[in-house]
Amino acid sequence: MLGLFNTLGLGARALQANQLGVEVTGQNLANSSNAAYSRQRVTLATSTAMQTTLGMQGTGVQATSIQQVRDALLDGQMRDESSVTGYWNSQQSSLQNAQGQLGEYLNINGTNSASDAQGLSDRLNNLFNSFQGLSTSPTSISQRQNVIGQAQALASGLNDASTKLSSLNDSLNSSVTDSVTQANQLLTQIANLNDQIAKASLSGGTANDLTDTRQQALESLAGLVNIQTNTNSDGTVDVSVGGTQLVAGNKTLDSLQSYDPGNGQMQVRTTTGGTPLTLTGGSIQGTIDARDGALKTLRDGLDTLASSLATQVNGVYSSGYDLNGGTGAAFFTGNTAGTIAVNTALAADPSLLQASGVSGATGDNTVALALAKLGTQSVAALGNKTFSGAFAAQVGSFGFALSNANSEVANQGAVTTMLKNQRDSVSGVSIEEEVANLMLFQQAYSASSKIISTADQMLQTVIALKT
Amino acid sequence: MRIAGTSYTQAMTGQINVLAGRQNQLQSQASSGQSITAPSDNPAGMTQALGLQTDQANVTQYAQNVTTLQNHTNLMSSALQQLKTISDRVSELATQSDSLTSPSALKANAAETTQLIQNAVQIMNTKDGDQYLFGGTVSDKAPYVATTDASGNVTGVTYQGNTSVNASEIGQNSSVTVDVPGENTTGSGARGVITDSRSGADFFNHMISLQNHLLAGDTTSINTVDQPALAKDSDNIIYQISSIGAVQTRLDVAASSASSQQTSLSTSLNTVAGADLAQTITQLTQAENAYQIAMQTSSSILQLRSSLLASLP
Repeated sequence: MLGLFNTLGLGARALQANQLGVEVTGQNLANSSNAAYSRQRVTLATSTAMQTTLGMQGTGVQATSIQQVRDALLDGQMRDESSVTGYWNSQQSSLQNAQGQLGEYLNINGTNSASDAQGLSDRLNNLFNSFQGLSTSPTSISQRQNVIGQAQALASGLNDASTKLSSLNDSLNSSVTDSVTQANQLLTQIANLNDQIAKASLSGGTANDLTDTRQQALESLAGLVNIQTNTNSDGTVDVSVGGTQLVAGNKTLDSLQSYDPGNGQMQVRTTTGGTPLTLTGGSIQGTIDARDGALKTLRDGLDTLASSLATQVNGVYSSGYDLNGGTGAAFFTGNTAGTIAVNTALAADPSLLQASGVSGATGDNTVALALAKLGTQSVAALGNKTFSGAFAAQVGSFGFALSNANSEVANQGAVTTMLKNQRDSVSGVSIEEEVANLMLFQQAYSASSKIISTADQMLQTVIALKT
Repeated sequence: MRIAGTSYTQAMTGQINVLAGRQNQLQSQASSGQSITAPSDNPAGMTQALGLQTDQANVTQYAQNVTTLQNHTNLMSSALQQLKTISDRVSELATQSDSLTSPSALKANAAETTQLIQNAVQIMNTKDGDQYLFGGTVSDKAPYVATTDASGNVTGVTYQGNTSVNASEIGQNSSVTVDVPGENTTGSGARGVITDSRSGADFFNHMISLQNHLLAGDTTSINTVDQPALAKDSDNIIYQISSIGAVQTRLDVAASSASSQQTSLSTSLNTVAGADLAQTITQLTQAENAYQIAMQTSSSILQLRSSLLASLP
């Protein structure tokens, strides 16, 4: 027999074990809306049996550990998918921003008149059509003013687009730097968490909440850069980026650094080693790829368009004669999207527009007509497309890049949702389940308290025998 | 499979967001009447639509060119008709004078001929805006200048223009020349209205000759020299009127063609970028219904959970 006092101990241990069950259940319920939380459960085991005259007799129950329910494989997959999600989200965000800055939107119900012109496509059309109008009335001051006005509108449109896209480029560079800073903070945090988790492991316990926090930090880091991890026996996690180990246990071996390789476009390398990193995922690489890919192609395309426009127009225009017999001036100055402008002298005096191709014949329209025909001619520097055709192709190409990013974000959203559901089915808190557990532990606690009260009454009976 | 609380709410929120996004997209299409607004909506369609809009803009400009040229040719036709009237009157004076013997009557006809010359110079210096109709491509000076003697008789009319004429585009790879010079003695190119070596016309000089013969009372020269010469001038003017008429017909055809092209391009553009409103509204209604149902079912499930928690002792 255990004896009454051992029976009291049995009851006490039962109370403690079930109270711990209630506490852990309470912890689960409190974190039921915390997406980063992995549910915990109390592991109960029969307490050590006692040798009695009747043989080994059980001494009740004890809590042996509080276990976290999580799947390491799913955790790893979530980190990997966080990188992919971060990559495509940053691509989509960057390119959506660029689309807005470019400002090329379709309006099929407009009248295509000068007053409706908004985008660069409309402005290109209006320029060449203004040359057409001039060719029917070469000496008309109003037609000349129209040509100059349309040219100024196109030039300012190109300038504006160039400035905005350049500003976006700068913002993306800043974003890379900011994200690298954030990544370094997370690396430090992970190393610190590793240290705390290792200490808890040494003392024989488990740091479940710290593990949750570390997993959240790892996923956040993976969203920034694609990481490779290795879990050690002491529970710490080593972290590598681009093949370079940055965190080993509780130590931060190196950090990330953003730097300018000389072309003004920020890249990433290790701070101490100075090794340029080839990142394969994460929002940092997504930003870099958007900046150096579709955005750069768009900016270069606008510069080529402006350069070709200035070259082709000036080539025809300079041979023409103005109303005063003057010749040889340029129509456009500058040769990039950011610098192209209408010759200031021309802008101030429409009579200086060199529309005639014959000296002394101000009514001749040869140059005006040739300028108009430039709008329908293929240009070698533009891939043998017309100016409008080349720009439309640039817009379409950019649209493909953003459309692709949108599709990838949508697909990745579905993949991530599926993985989260899978992980939540293992680690997530089910309120219904926890409520049932709560009731279970509560009933067991009540039953356990009866053991104590019964043993207590029996003790009093025994004591009363002596009095 | 276990359903955790967070996975349920995440799925519910995700689905509602998708439905809300879909509604937003369809509402935008319905209100704008377009299936493509931004390049990312349909990149290939956007490229195609921009190309069609360029074609539309070009056709619109060609139509405007036609209108400008139609106005120009109307002015030219009117001027030529007035010139024809002068030509007819001058020929009438020449015929009439052939049988006149009274010096005063001949001098009266001479005075009227002088006046007709001045009128003809005025007509030939007609402008369309700031552009002379009959000066070729010279626009900074009037095509004709008349010189007179002390008695007011015209001694000469000088042409200050040239023989060049402009071509103007009225369609893709289609151009037309509407201008005619006042004078062309080169034997090639557009025929001159007043002076032309191919037709033998030299209207001003022929009228001056008639004026002088009338002043001199030389009815023989009027009969043998002036009348045949003025007949060539009349034929040349009739030719010019007929030519302008042909150009005007061609401009009318070009205007009609441009209108047809605009209609065709609008149809093509709507096919590429327009929204099928019936389909869009149907899809929008479906999305709205799905959204409402999702909200209602989510609310029901949350209420059930609340009931469960309320049942705890």
